[in-house]
Amino acid sequence: MGWKVRLNVTTGLLGAITLAFLAYQWLPILTLGLLSFSGPSGGTTFPMNGVSFHWYRELWQASVMNDFKPPLLRSSLLALACALTTVVLSVMAAQAMRGRFRGSGAFFYLMLLGIMAPGILVGFGFAILMRLLGIELAWNTTTFLVQVSWTLPFGFLTMLAVFNRFDPRVEEAALTLGASRLVTFRRITLPLVLPGIIGAALFGFSLSYDEYPRSMFTTGPDGTLPLAIMAQLDRQLTPEIYAIGTVTTMSSLVAVTLCAAGLWAMRRSTAGRSP
Amino acid sequence: MDILAQPIEVDSAAKPGFARPQLDLELRNIRKRYGDFIAVDGVSLKVRKGQFVCLLGPSGCGKTTTLRCVAGLEEPDEGDILIGGKEATRDPPWQRDIAMMFQDFALFPHMTVAKNVAFGLEMLKRPKAEITARVDQVLKSFEIAALANRKPGSLSGGQRQRVALARAMITEPRLLLLDEPIGALDYSLRETVMLELKLLQKRSGISFIWVTHDQNEAFSLGDLVVVMNHARIEQMGTPEEILQRPATAFVAGFVQGNNVFHGRAAGTSDGLLAVDTALGRFHVSSSGSAPAAGTAVSFSVRAEKMTDLVGDEHGNRVSARCSAIEFFGSVRRHLFERSDGEVLKYDQFGAQAARIELGQLVTIGWRADDTVLHGMAG
Repeated sequence: MGWKVRLNVTTGLLGAITLAFLAYQWLPILTLGLLSFSGPSGGTTFPMNGVSFHWYRELWQASVMNDFKPPLLRSSLLALACALTTVVLSVMAAQAMRGRFRGSGAFFYLMLLGIMAPGILVGFGFAILMRLLGIELAWNTTTFLVQVSWTLPFGFLTMLAVFNRFDPRVEEAALTLGASRLVTFRRITLPLVLPGIIGAALFGFSLSYDEYPRSMFTTGPDGTLPLAIMAQLDRQLTPEIYAIGTVTTMSSLVAVTLCAAGLWAMRRSTAGRSP
Repeated sequence: MDILAQPIEVDSAAKPGFARPQLDLELRNIRKRYGDFIAVDGVSLKVRKGQFVCLLGPSGCGKTTTLRCVAGLEEPDEGDILIGGKEATRDPPWQRDIAMMFQDFALFPHMTVAKNVAFGLEMLKRPKAEITARVDQVLKSFEIAALANRKPGSLSGGQRQRVALARAMITEPRLLLLDEPIGALDYSLRETVMLELKLLQKRSGISFIWVTHDQNEAFSLGDLVVVMNHARIEQMGTPEEILQRPATAFVAGFVQGNNVFHGRAAGTSDGLLAVDTALGRFHVSSSGSAPAAGTAVSFSVRAEKMTDLVGDEHGNRVSARCSAIEFFGSVRRHLFERSDGEVLKYDQFGAQAARIELGQLVTIGWRADDTVLHGMAG
């Protein structure tokens, strides 16, 4: 067998494995998406009982009992807040790590503890601690705090990687041209690490949005979306769950696509254009 | 490039606190250490108005750290930095009357060429209209007006170099600090760029401090060449002084075309110092007080001061076998194996006919007056 033939076989094989993996990733979501369009009498498994928008209508006109809209709003706000906090704190922490201060090694590992620690234990321990301190549990206070401890390390690692590839001489050039540290950060550093910042924000948002174990014990009476879905699963399983899954997946896809398009446009403008 | 042909008003002359306006830069005993490593050790330097100073030395000799101390990017542990006669040791970079050019130019990748060049003026909070007019003028004089709306990523090395220079010079700083500024350029470009920069420096009257490890750059550009090694200044002077009267064995060895000999002093007679080396006894002309007998001394002879046509005046002689001949056009360099393991260099004027063959045993001689005893000159 010639090397060209071997190359073609290898390429085909690797391509097939890649496609199989992508299917493995996406088929479960596709299954949910399909079942969410079942008819009004529809069950939650194949074969489908008719095709309709019934469960999306149900979702929209829900009763107070199983209304997903308030938890959806809470989860969205919470995820936005987590994304913002993660961005600010992780940029600051990664910026500090560039200077290699005393104890920066310990600081690095302590930051990563948030990733290593099992979420359900962190959530439970946090709830006990809050009770001890007499602090009321709520989605916008205690849940927010415990979720940031989870999203921050991801943003931190992202920003570390970005600053690793960052040329500090560009900042030094700005300093020697008369820009103070603050002006240099705003005019030079920030625009150059913006892609990383968007990445950190995406991490913050998506990790918070579907976080279950850390929210379970720390949320109080008004639950987030994952908690509401879990509660609904406990009560009864209807294609409504699939409908909500499809809706949130689609909105995530749109958000990610927009971010990617923004990054692409930015990179294109940095690469420069002909006169 | 006719930048600064019509200079705009710059307020540098009106700045308060001028004690010694005749010096653009004065370094007094600068020391900088990183942990146990001493990067700069007691460097003192005076730069007169409009001088072209080259800091020359091997990598790690402290020349870049010295430059960064002047820029304010590093803070010296000891010593004073005076810029334009004004104490600036503790000033941050943005308050110093300097600009800096980096080896790979450090252009802002997210800004257009025009924005890059305008940056310094924007930091001075000049009116918009004035900035636009001045940027247009500077872009034209640096012949990069056509690139105004391009981003640095799409420029060639030579174009980037021009943009970096325009960006640094637009505010007409007192000092321009250049860290290996043409090291990133193609060889074919360097000669042209060097000439342009030299002319630009003379016309603008801005003092240049140029860090390089390339002695050709240093000797062809510098009014003052400062040779550094191991965090210290070995010698400073005009290119002629350093080429003709190297002060130390390091300078003599670092500068191309010197033969360096180490030995011990063995007494003086008729104004000539005898030096015993591994190759035998040589006579060295020594002005002033000669070192006492037995002290370790070193001296050097330039390769073009050697001759194979030995006469009575060539009191110092060495017999050696020719191991290589390199022809450079202007000179023909012969390399001989010295018995102490070093290489003896003899440059013959290139226009003369070749006299020595490879492998030939030759007696090479030189006059005592053509030797330079180290540790004697400033």
